[in-house]
Amino acid sequence: MVRAALRTQGRLNRGPRRGVTMIPAASVVAASALALLPVIAVRGGWPDFGFLMLIAWRLLRADAWPAWWAAPLGFVNDLLTGMPIGLSVSLWTAMMLVMDLVDRRTQWRDYWIEWALAAVLILAAESAEWKVAQWSGAPVPFILMLPSIIISILAFPLFAFIASRLDRWRLGQ
Amino acid sequence: MAAPVGPRPGWSRRAQYSLFFGFIAAVAGLLVGLFMLVLSLVAPASYAGVRGAALDATAPVTGALSEVSATAKGLISGAGNYWDAASQNAKLKRERAELRRLVTQARAVMQENGQLKAALGLRERSRQATAAGRIVGSSFESARRFAILSVGRSEGVVPGMPVRTADGLIGRVIDAGASASRVLLVSDRSNIVPARILRGGAPVISTGRGDGTVDIRPLEVGRNPFKRGDIIVTSGTGGLYPPLVPIARVVRLDDDGAIGLPIADPSNSSFAIVEPPFEPAAVAASQEGER
Repeated sequence: MVRAALRTQGRLNRGPRRGVTMIPAASVVAASALALLPVIAVRGGWPDFGFLMLIAWRLLRADAWPAWWAAPLGFVNDLLTGMPIGLSVSLWTAMMLVMDLVDRRTQWRDYWIEWALAAVLILAAESAEWKVAQWSGAPVPFILMLPSIIISILAFPLFAFIASRLDRWRLGQ
Repeated sequence: MAAPVGPRPGWSRRAQYSLFFGFIAAVAGLLVGLFMLVLSLVAPASYAGVRGAALDATAPVTGALSEVSATAKGLISGAGNYWDAASQNAKLKRERAELRRLVTQARAVMQENGQLKAALGLRERSRQATAAGRIVGSSFESARRFAILSVGRSEGVVPGMPVRTADGLIGRVIDAGASASRVLLVSDRSNIVPARILRGGAPVISTGRGDGTVDIRPLEVGRNPFKRGDIIVTSGTGGLYPPLVPIARVVRLDDDGAIGLPIADPSNSSFAIVEPPFEPAAVAASQEGER
């Protein structure tokens, strides 16, 4: 009887997983790596998976990683997706700093506010991507970015769900 | 739920310092990122090595996955072809008979063309493909239109080479790694191809629209020279793309131009051929002029 009670399989004595600090960053890299899928699309407009994973984690926890980790994560994303190198580096780090400010300013946070915040961040990121494309000689009309923005906003809850489940798993809760 | 307050360091001097240095590092990361971005906009060639290495590292994964998806797709479409094999067979036989007549005519025309060229003393340079590879992936997450090609520098592919399939033009190489390269598709907004209408030969310019179609404008202002169904082919002007490679089919007219659908579909073509620039000397001269 005593021995059974001391066993660790139950809900007792469960600690964080190994590499607990790395799991959020690893999941962002994995989401970026979805760009390697052999999808030959005639038009773009799929969400930027790495970015969605990043803001999902950041909205869930302020301490998922130190803010400056966004820079190397963005560099990996740039290399995997073929965006102009430096775009995700600067954009993702800027998002971390903006979220630090938002965390100081907001008093209240619920599901809808979080989604609205994510929508604003997605809009900002896609606009930045659009502007950079314009500077690099591809002035796409902004209306072409709208499907991508809407799909990203609609896909955000999925990534928020993945992030929260991963968070529970990594902390052993 | 109250907002998460972020990491509160409390009274620990060590925690306060680490938070502060983390913030400094993030600002530094932002500045470094902006610098890298400016560099990649102003001098894209400075990242050629890094981007090539990234392509080499990632393209094998994409290639392997695309083998899997091609097999699955082949099984499904193969089963679909068996579904109405008899009527398809009859239709194909009719088409074959018609094509055979056309081929005979074309052979005669080509022979005559060769004789005429010989009489004029025009020299025909033999064109040899540099490499042939498969298109394994694309930039489906962004508004730019790129494709990943499974051949690279080790097969002689360098940035600037035109890429085509048997059907028509795909685009040109912009990044090349040792075993993979990135192709700027004709439907990308920044890809401008000098072209002409196959019927009549009026010179036009084809620009990508970023949504899988191309925008075609005539060089001469005035009457709209397009008709629905017109085939647009490269003109060879500029010396990069070889002449008479089909680019697009006109699907819609607008007030002073037309919208075309690229003829070569990167997702459906099994092989893409990389060719050397048509007139390397002309390309080099125009690039000198741009600088």
